[in-house]
Amino acid sequence: MTSLTHLQKLEAESIQIMREVVAETENPVMLYSVGKDSAVMLHLARKAFAPAPPPFPLLHVDTRWKFRAMYEFRDKMAEETGMDLIVHINPEGIEKDINPFDHGSAIHTDVMKTEGLKQALDKYGFDAAFGGARRDEEKSRAKERVFSFRTAQHRWDPKNQRPELWRLFNTRKHKGESIRVFPLSNWTELDIWQYIYLQNIPIVPLYYSAERPVVERDGTLIMVDDERMPLEPGEVPMMRKVRFRTLGCYPLTGAIESEADTLPAIIQEMLLTKTSERQGRVIDNDSAASMEKKKQEGYF
Amino acid sequence: MKAKHLSPDNLNERRLQAVRLRLDGHTVAEVATRTGLSAPTVSAAWRAFREGGWEAVPVRPRGRKVGQAARLDAAAQQVLGECLRELPESPEPAWSSRALADALKDAGHEVSPRAIDHWLEAHDLKPEPMALEALERKRGQTGRWYRQQVAPVLKEVGKVGGSLWQGGVRIARPTQQAAVEAKPERPRYQLYLHGKRGVLYTRVLTTPPMVDDYLALFQRLLDQAEGKPVALVFHGAWFQAVPEIGRWLEWNPSFRLLPWPALGEACDRR
Repeated sequence: MTSLTHLQKLEAESIQIMREVVAETENPVMLYSVGKDSAVMLHLARKAFAPAPPPFPLLHVDTRWKFRAMYEFRDKMAEETGMDLIVHINPEGIEKDINPFDHGSAIHTDVMKTEGLKQALDKYGFDAAFGGARRDEEKSRAKERVFSFRTAQHRWDPKNQRPELWRLFNTRKHKGESIRVFPLSNWTELDIWQYIYLQNIPIVPLYYSAERPVVERDGTLIMVDDERMPLEPGEVPMMRKVRFRTLGCYPLTGAIESEADTLPAIIQEMLLTKTSERQGRVIDNDSAASMEKKKQEGYF
Repeated sequence: MKAKHLSPDNLNERRLQAVRLRLDGHTVAEVATRTGLSAPTVSAAWRAFREGGWEAVPVRPRGRKVGQAARLDAAAQQVLGECLRELPESPEPAWSSRALADALKDAGHEVSPRAIDHWLEAHDLKPEPMALEALERKRGQTGRWYRQQVAPVLKEVGKVGGSLWQGGVRIARPTQQAAVEAKPERPRYQLYLHGKRGVLYTRVLTTPPMVDDYLALFQRLLDQAEGKPVALVFHGAWFQAVPEIGRWLEWNPSFRLLPWPALGEACDRR
């Protein structure tokens, strides 16, 4: 008998979780943020239900401030997989023109992402939502269960979580409650990259190093992705060889200087790195334990 | 790698290995293939061994010993750093090694342009000119960009006796030793130009160059050309986002700025 590799075990666990959710819930949805974790999650979902397409739609909670390459990639993947893609933008955010520059990262994230997500879940009546969060990303994510229960108001109580012994998941919930499900909880960033490499999973090119126009803001390299990015008086963006370890709204996502322009080079870089990928996310630095607060309020 | 490019340690190791192989009965040609040395080098190592034993096989240390070079003292380096931050008083677009040597001489430091070149090199401030002509035959986006957008302009400007320049902006990454020697607030952002015969003109700033820094550089190039057109292939800045540069170029149509393009991103990077 051949034993499964580390990645095969993780893959099997994720597929089991996905099938469990589809069997136990009425109206699941997969949150698709267009990043590398979403790419892996989508790939696993397609494997889990092949040859049919996954029996749930993709939901992208858009903020209007993602990288242009992400929008192109999102539409391409939706077409390729044949899955329904729901794009939701908080209409109040559009009306008030909420943006990271005028309103700051905290308000932008709260209105466009947290509130946008809650609106979309309510609007379509989804009772389970898959997310690509991993424990190694951030400390509050580390303690969150694979099946994370939310009240009817989408709030998370970190002190009231269900045990998940021997991979037995208690999926019972009251009317109006929902579950956030994290099939990649036990994966690490390195696992994700190795899996992308082995399975030849397409990802947004921003993950690969290339010369890109960037400006420095408080020690963070921000890519000038479109004309909405306000420059300081007299400032000229520099072309620097950078890549992104994590992708979000472009004004809030820091690039890293890197020469890794192939998957093996990225994996090698991962083996040497000593920092979390989310150090590049401006929103995580808003305040101490900011992610946990955001999660309690309904952020993914 | 050719033997003449090997470090002394590496070369000596190979010479010793060559002698061991010869002792094992291999021919000079076989030993040369296995060690990567030339046949005359293998023969020379073998002869040295026969005449003087193992001790005679390694080559004698070559060149000047470490620490014997004429080094720029701290005061000279400080003057150098201060000069590089500003534009030169001469009409040159930026600092050449010769102009820096003259400035240091005025400040009481007798240093040759060559020593300045070495200092620039040690501080990663001596970028090589781009091999633009090589792009003529290159396939892909860069080659297409050169053939379609750069070559015709260079030809046009060259035909009327205009000046052709290339340059860019980059971040200097000094060697470990140079970084230790440098002051904590060391210069980092380098504006550079390569003119005729690849002569380097440079400025080094502690913050990213601003639009005025670029425009001062462009204006000096234009002034030097005395009414003739100027073509500049420039790498490392994203001018498209800066309206001031666009306006300046509109006012100065004889200045042909050719920014190095941000090339498209391939999806398949396996």
